[in-house]
Amino acid sequence: MMRTAISILQKDLRMEFRSKESILAMWIFSLLIFVIFNFTFEVSRLVMLEIAPGLLWVAFVFSGMFGLNQSFALEKENGNLRAMALMPVDGGEIYVGKFFSVTLIMLMFEALIFPIFIIFYDLQLSLGMFRLIPVLLAGTIGFTSLGTILSAVAVHTRNQQILLSLLLWPLVSPIIIWSVTLTGMILSGEVTEAFYPLLLRVGAFDVIFFTLSYMLFDFILED
Amino acid sequence: MSVPALEILGVSKDFGRIIALRDVSFSVMPGEFVSILGRNGAGKTTLLNIVSGVSRPSEGKVNLFGTDPGDRENKAKLAVISHEMFLYGNLTAIENLEYYSRVYNVPDAKKRIDTVLSDVELTHRRFDLVATYSRGMTQRLTIARALLHEPSLLLLDEPFTGLDQHAIGMLIELLKKQKDMDRTILLTTHDLHTAAELSDRYVVLSKHKIIKDGYIADTTPDAIREKYFSAESQGAEA
Repeated sequence: MMRTAISILQKDLRMEFRSKESILAMWIFSLLIFVIFNFTFEVSRLVMLEIAPGLLWVAFVFSGMFGLNQSFALEKENGNLRAMALMPVDGGEIYVGKFFSVTLIMLMFEALIFPIFIIFYDLQLSLGMFRLIPVLLAGTIGFTSLGTILSAVAVHTRNQQILLSLLLWPLVSPIIIWSVTLTGMILSGEVTEAFYPLLLRVGAFDVIFFTLSYMLFDFILED
Repeated sequence: MSVPALEILGVSKDFGRIIALRDVSFSVMPGEFVSILGRNGAGKTTLLNIVSGVSRPSEGKVNLFGTDPGDRENKAKLAVISHEMFLYGNLTAIENLEYYSRVYNVPDAKKRIDTVLSDVELTHRRFDLVATYSRGMTQRLTIARALLHEPSLLLLDEPFTGLDQHAIGMLIELLKKQKDMDRTILLTTHDLHTAAELSDRYVVLSKHKIIKDGYIADTTPDAIREKYFSAESQGAEA
């Protein structure tokens, strides 16, 4: 059933590894954010711990927007989006392929930029940091599950990037805000009992966004 | 009597206030080669989009092999060749064809890929990125991509646009071969001589509706030209 999804994922990853266009641009963009903030504000370590989680997610989300735009711009080129609409498969299967490719590329970028973040903001590595893995996964999946379908909508328009921002931000804001809160708890070493219910809430939103997008993607592909 | 491969029943299409098609009806029998002639903006591409299931008609109905064009089974029997390549420049010819063969579940894909690449004389460039191809070579690869899953119905939207004489000759030969294999073919073109050479039947679209529907065998290329242009000018005056 998922033959097409796997084919789309393989194709997207092959193109990304060949050009490194998305990951490299996302990485440089995030690096610039970290450099600018690091050298602009002379703040104490305590204040830094307050702003670092937000800064990390600003970098992830803005770079992620670039990745989303890039993913569907490639499909628009040479009419490949129309070729997808002509494929003898459910739209949902195409959505799954694109979702996994966007998500994997974003997670790879996060893995590459996170060590830079640690160095720039002089954060202490500890075992508790492993809690960041489910937080980054849940936050990223929420962002990309919604971002994938909305960039497929926006790619048909002239102002693709503006429209994607306008559509995506209001809907994805709760997930980003909760992810920032969860990241803050981990970085400050003050993981309270609210941590897991909040993580579960992000996970629930992920499931809702993914399921709705999977069901609706057929309509997006139609003219 | 066999079921028509394609039935277009009173199809109209509008995009808000812009009318693209008005009450278009005709059918195509299996193995028939039909050319749709008409000026730019007559509605030819819109009609092919509706037939391929990418777009839905505002009114009317389309049956493909007796069922809805959006059915998965129908989509597997269909191929579209247009000015859009449906190829990825950052992949090689082989990688593009492997991708489509997996999506269309082509049996014995490796052998089939070798065959279609040889048919379009691109075997020697199979490991090169498509971005490095000339326009003619890319169009030839587009044809190979379309024929990969051996479709029963071929929809060709101005396929000769931008091709050199060699590529045009090759495409004509490939289409004749497809016709001999009893494939159903729907072609939109401005080239009346090519339409007359290849088709069994022609349909003229003007001002978003059909104004002529006739058999090539009943006429000559010159007569088609005369009918086509007179019909077009009448359409323009209307």
